[in-house]
Amino acid sequence: MSLRNKLYYSLINNSSHNALCIQGCYCNYNQLSERVACIQQTLINHSVSPSRIGIVLSDTVDTYAAIVAILLLGKTYVPLHPSHPAERIQQIVSQADLDIALTSSALSNLENITCVDMSSLIADGNSPIISKGDFSNSYAYILFTSGSTGIPKGTPITYGNLDSFATGFYAIGYQLTPQDRCLQMFDLTFDLSVVSYLMPLCAGACVYTLPDKGMKFTNVYSVLEEHTITFALMVPSILSFLRQYFSEIHLPQLRYSLFCGEALSADLVTEWQKCVPNATIDNVYGPTEATIFCTWYRIDTTGTVGATNGVVWIGKPMLGVNTVVADDEGNLIPTGEKGELCLSGNQVTKGYLDNEKNKTAFFTLNGEQYYRTGDLVLLHTDGNYIYCGRSDHQVKIQGFRIELAEIEHHARTAFGCHAVAIVFTNPQGINQIELVLETEATNKSDIASTLKSLMPAYMLPAGIHFVKPLPLNINGKTDRKELAKQIAIAI
Amino acid sequence: MDSNEIYAHLQKIYCTILKKDQVTLTDETTAADIDGWDSLTHMLLMDSVEREFGIKFKLMEIMKFNNVGDMVACIQKKLAAK
Repeated sequence: MSLRNKLYYSLINNSSHNALCIQGCYCNYNQLSERVACIQQTLINHSVSPSRIGIVLSDTVDTYAAIVAILLLGKTYVPLHPSHPAERIQQIVSQADLDIALTSSALSNLENITCVDMSSLIADGNSPIISKGDFSNSYAYILFTSGSTGIPKGTPITYGNLDSFATGFYAIGYQLTPQDRCLQMFDLTFDLSVVSYLMPLCAGACVYTLPDKGMKFTNVYSVLEEHTITFALMVPSILSFLRQYFSEIHLPQLRYSLFCGEALSADLVTEWQKCVPNATIDNVYGPTEATIFCTWYRIDTTGTVGATNGVVWIGKPMLGVNTVVADDEGNLIPTGEKGELCLSGNQVTKGYLDNEKNKTAFFTLNGEQYYRTGDLVLLHTDGNYIYCGRSDHQVKIQGFRIELAEIEHHARTAFGCHAVAIVFTNPQGINQIELVLETEATNKSDIASTLKSLMPAYMLPAGIHFVKPLPLNINGKTDRKELAKQIAIAI
Repeated sequence: MDSNEIYAHLQKIYCTILKKDQVTLTDETTAADIDGWDSLTHMLLMDSVEREFGIKFKLMEIMKFNNVGDMVACIQKKLAAK
């Protein structure tokens, strides 16, 4: 059965079960269905019958109802984050060719697009509907990630991609039931949110989002503890934050503890194992382009962890995912040598919205289209992949994928000088970005507020430094390593 | 230690960690009021506060801090128990 069908029958069959717990308020499947139905009616009756629909995100039932409404209709949702800079939102609206966006409040109107305030829609007794037909080549959602030229990069994921992901997900053995309580800690612009709400809703389980006040890592823990969460996908940095309190943490009800989005430290996860004695712990890996995650590695219950340089392996491909390791020209690399991980199979997108970007990101091998992840790996003799870092300047900060070149582009354009973004790992093992400007020292808070108007919060540097001139290597390029040494003293 | 003294210590710690010349803290201040006070700096702040006062917070205590006032009350309680 397709995920769309699963979702539809779950809404119908689990009516009195809780579907969502948002800011401490529960919404059952019946109530969710009512919201889905009235949003669907609005979309169907809308004059242009749009196929792509923006959703101005907020932590509300209507935001989730809008996603479900769009998926059941076989249309495409494009999440728009109201706290992102207006210019970035406009770039997404125009690239995704959106005419309409659903909002949860009349206050969050956008320019150049029709906004429908869902809070003004009144349930009319209709039931949700599901569009019949084959939607496997239609886009389910389009997510925008950091683009090195400063323009966000749109990755469309089809219903066929999602169904393949689900097949692989179930094949791993994850079984969710209406009795499960699942954590959803991710921003909806980020695809780890999709598995965190969609798989539970398809199973009749309840999805718990994070409180909007306070610190993320304490909020994650309070939801895990207070709601006796049974399924949790988290970014490893949450563990780095919680580490010093592990002795106080005991979560026996957690059945599945998954980690994704960053390198997972072997030490950290073996300590975590004691906090979650009944959980299956998996390290999962995958780029947005390959639909959520596509390889997995299970942490042995005896505490032996496959790790290289202290980083847990990313494991084996999920069912239906084909992997090869290639060099820059797309030639295969012998087993056991380091190269770029390339992915194919029905989980992998056919290409970006912007065709120009596809020329370098994809190549064909034996009639199959492969996506170049930019991640360097080694294949262990037992079939597990070992993550060895990036081949470029893309980084992960608390799970968010960031092109350092994008930060540099914005800084260079705004301040008219050379800009270098460098990642540091602090003593707690958390990555942070430091920005170096090649200019005389000036007011840092002015610079910080300019950057804030150009980039989403997760891209903002933790510190700003002035170095003039920048150190150069023998090729005359900026010597990033030397620069990192120079500014490390100032951090 | 009275709360004014505690605040004087805290302002100093916050300035150092958040790399600011001045930070104004009151009982009602929350992370949302201060630029740069996020998950990352929060951890560093808690760590510095613990070392400055020679105390240790429990996770449950940190979770219940709704504002700076709650933290100051907790610091006072721990100092009194020393």
